[in-house]
Amino acid sequence: MSMHWYVARRVAWAVVATYLILTITFGLLAVAPGDGQTAFAFEAATEGGDVDEARETFDEITGRDEPLLTRYTNYMVNMATLNWGWSFTRNQSVMDALAAAYPYSLMYAVPATFISIVFGYAIGLYSATHQYTLTDYLGTFTAFFGISVPNFWFGIMLILVFAVDLGWLPSYYQTGRGVWTLANAKQLVLPVVVLSTGAIAGNMRYSRAEALEYVHADFVKTARAKGADDWRVLVRHIFRPALVPLMTILVADILGLLFAGAYITEVVFQIPGLGLLSYKAIIQQDTALVMATTLVPVFIAIVGNLVQDIAYTVLDPRIDYGDR
Amino acid sequence: MTDPLLSIRELRVRFDTDEGVVQAVDGVSFDVERGETVCVVGESGSGKTVACESVTRLIPMPPGEIAGGEILFDGEDLTEASEKRLESIRGGRIAHVFQNPQSALNPVYPIGAQIVEAIRLHRDVSKQAARDRAIDLLDRVGIPEATARVDDYPHEFSGGMKQRVVIAMALAADPDLLVADEPTTALDVTIQAQILRLLRDLQAEFGMSIVFVTHDLGVVAEIADRVVVMYAGRVMETGSVHDVFDRPSHPYTKALLDCLPGQGQSMRPIGGTLPDLKQPPAGCRFHPRCPHATADCRTGTHPELLPVGSGHDAACVYYGPGYDSTVIRGESVSESRAADGGDAVADSDSDHDTTGGDC
Amino acid sequence: MAPDTQSDTGATERFEDVEWDELGGLGFPRRTQALVVATVAYAAAVAYDLFVTDDAVLSGTNWLFVLTLLVGAFFVAWPLAENRRLTAYYWRRFKRNRAAVVSAAYLVVVFVVGTLGPLVLTEPELNILAAYQPPVYLSVDSAVPTTCVGQTADGLCHGTWQYPLGTTSDGKGIAKLVVFGMRVSMQVGLVTMLIVVSIGTAVGTSAAYFSGLVDELLMRYVDIQQTFPTFFLFLIVTYLFKPSLFLLITIFGFLGWGGIARLVRSEALQRREESYIRAAENAGASDGWIIRRHLMPNVSNTVITAATLLIPSFILFEATFAFLGLTDPATPSWGQVIASGRGDLDGAWWIATIPGVFLFFTVLAFNFVGDALRDALDPRSEGDA
Repeated sequence: MSMHWYVARRVAWAVVATYLILTITFGLLAVAPGDGQTAFAFEAATEGGDVDEARETFDEITGRDEPLLTRYTNYMVNMATLNWGWSFTRNQSVMDALAAAYPYSLMYAVPATFISIVFGYAIGLYSATHQYTLTDYLGTFTAFFGISVPNFWFGIMLILVFAVDLGWLPSYYQTGRGVWTLANAKQLVLPVVVLSTGAIAGNMRYSRAEALEYVHADFVKTARAKGADDWRVLVRHIFRPALVPLMTILVADILGLLFAGAYITEVVFQIPGLGLLSYKAIIQQDTALVMATTLVPVFIAIVGNLVQDIAYTVLDPRIDYGDR
Repeated sequence: MTDPLLSIRELRVRFDTDEGVVQAVDGVSFDVERGETVCVVGESGSGKTVACESVTRLIPMPPGEIAGGEILFDGEDLTEASEKRLESIRGGRIAHVFQNPQSALNPVYPIGAQIVEAIRLHRDVSKQAARDRAIDLLDRVGIPEATARVDDYPHEFSGGMKQRVVIAMALAADPDLLVADEPTTALDVTIQAQILRLLRDLQAEFGMSIVFVTHDLGVVAEIADRVVVMYAGRVMETGSVHDVFDRPSHPYTKALLDCLPGQGQSMRPIGGTLPDLKQPPAGCRFHPRCPHATADCRTGTHPELLPVGSGHDAACVYYGPGYDSTVIRGESVSESRAADGGDAVADSDSDHDTTGGDC
Repeated sequence: MAPDTQSDTGATERFEDVEWDELGGLGFPRRTQALVVATVAYAAAVAYDLFVTDDAVLSGTNWLFVLTLLVGAFFVAWPLAENRRLTAYYWRRFKRNRAAVVSAAYLVVVFVVGTLGPLVLTEPELNILAAYQPPVYLSVDSAVPTTCVGQTADGLCHGTWQYPLGTTSDGKGIAKLVVFGMRVSMQVGLVTMLIVVSIGTAVGTSAAYFSGLVDELLMRYVDIQQTFPTFFLFLIVTYLFKPSLFLLITIFGFLGWGGIARLVRSEALQRREESYIRAAENAGASDGWIIRRHLMPNVSNTVITAATLLIPSFILFEATFAFLGLTDPATPSWGQVIASGRGDLDGAWWIATIPGVFLFFTVLAFNFVGDALRDALDPRSEGDA
């Protein structure tokens, strides 16, 4: 099978997966009790309106009075055309809400991702090539700490020490400061630390385990016998082959760990990114916004998996395209 | 006579493991002259590979450690050399070929790139010039259509072809010494013969010395000028290939030769197993398996290498004062069998454990 | 190999050589009998709870927890007790990792206290008068608690043994909350693991054994399931339906087995090629027999290790959702207590800190134990220390 055919098949697969997931969420929405209706009715009631009328209005707005198939078609068309609905808690379209929130998520998630990959891989490779040294044990222990510490609690402990006790850093994120200011950098330190700790540990464990497979490989000995220096052996003959299996873990790991981690981090530090947006939407029963903010990471996960599989074909000359 | 190209003197290599210190190489000495082929022979675990990889410090350190001795290469003691110096010697002057061609090439780079890397690590040439030389080398080691295949990946070659690529890579910088560690063991018999012939031809063309590590005496007879027989980290016997094959002077060598098929007699495995190198037996390392062992063999240190002929030494007490060496070497292989009723060297009783025998 | 007709007395010693083959639970009349009795009793009790009595004897989660304990007793503890020699061998290998032995001891304590504690203790009660009490031996500015249960000296309120770990903002004893939280964590971790392992093993072995279309369908399904981040799926579901511990266990259990299935499949594919499977096939054994008797026991070590390493992630997920307030507020959980202490970091630092310490060490202990189990049970994976 040629590579083009393989890529085409993977893309088609991603489309199918997206379609399935949208259908499932529609199904969940359809069978779910209450939905946003109750909140809507409650809001109407507190404002002195007619509750039953509010319910009907809600059904009309959301199209709940239509037959199931029509609703399904409308839902899918709206999703496909990025017409993701109206957030009644924020009085803006869901798309606008997402657009306003995502820069805040990127502001700390990008540095955290970068740090976790660089540090995670560096420590992992160092540990693998210096097995059974003190540094290796320290690294392994740090990794255990990183994967075991609950990130929300870690965040709170950091706030307790560095904000409450020492007063060095702010305990909550405040908007309105310029992106490139020192104040903004200071309030991003703790979120970046919290988010990257787990990811560093994960990357370190994987890269150490993968690199260990190669440290004693014959071809690494061949490279040393050729006269390559340690650095060259490490980068070209250990890291580069290890990158192939690492790729498979990398995307899933970053998506899983960082997304779930980011959600918590934003709630703990009150960063108004996608996570906090989603969390507030859940608390305030804003269905359209809940759907959008939870589906975005899902779609990114699908695209990420796609990119990963394609990157795999580029990195590993041995891949058999018929195999997957 | 000029100095030997490589002279290993009393080399000791140990490995620090969880279970204790393993003396993998314990006082090994041998020379390699310019242009000659020396075969280092022994069972698995005899220390032959460790000794040869220690020359350019390829053994993993730690846990490995060169605990003593000298490795004189062209007059320079490599045990004293800096890592930088060794890097320029590895591949530049001493090249290695390893046992398993299937895993000796990095799977993620085309073979051409890997040979080019070897060239450019030691020769200041352009990428294009290195690539041209890589193609030449591939052609020279018998890769058909080298120009077309230079950008293929290792998995696109068969085992024998991969070994040719590895040899081409070893020749990249025109080394003075090629250390080939069981380069034919993982290959089919017909391919083995081709690779051996290739190595012989290349030696004639490039004029390098070869240290050939093997456990296969058939291969030794094929390629060696001189033989070094190792057992449990020590040299048991050394001499020219004719001396060692025609007049084996150490009980272990004789036992090995008895293992060889196609001598008209049935193969005879060596009884017993290799000693534990964490606690090597006192006295001669081979005494627990030796049919001629005396009280002297069981105590003290391992016997020194003693001359038994011109350029032919054996480490056995029977060549010392007070012993009759004819017990060992006076009789031919077949005579010894007849004399001892077929039980001279090997304990071939069916109810005995012969798993250690490496035949 | 293992005759079913062995008499009880002779069986044990002879079977020492059979090792994990007995995991299938068919070779032991005594164990089989006990298993049947236990299954019937369990089913009867659940049926009684469901259909006969109106007020629930146990919650759904508790029933599942009991089932998990039964499965653990019959398929892990009993075989280990029968195969003393093998158990001793594993134990020798396991105890080389000192941290893991300490971790295992800690987990046993958490398990016993968490399982038995809630049975003898009353639920933590609201008591505004006892709010913000510091842990015993510690003190806090007496302005922090409204009233100090212990002694007040030099303007400091000292902790008492009545509330050894202090109290929350609504006066609940943290020590009690920690004990009840142990139960939740153990239930989530163990029950979810049981579901994940059962489905994952069944799917993985089936895919490997039947191969072809069955394999293709199952594995493509796993692909989809693995793509979908369970965290966000649970967010949607918990938003649309009433959140509960049962829902969390169900979602993570029924959607989290993809990794185990893949692992079991690849492991079983390797085993399938081995000669004892071929021999069984040639001897005319049925598919079900081969899967149950030959494939499953031989992948069990891999599964047990992977399962142990999954438990901490389930515990962390539960704590996270409890922290976010997206689980049943009536179930006292470590995450919930941490969340409640978040606003009081200034004065009552211990509320958020103490349950987190327990959570952290529980997760850490499972990771240590899982790591040591991998080394002990699988000699091939020596690389990852």
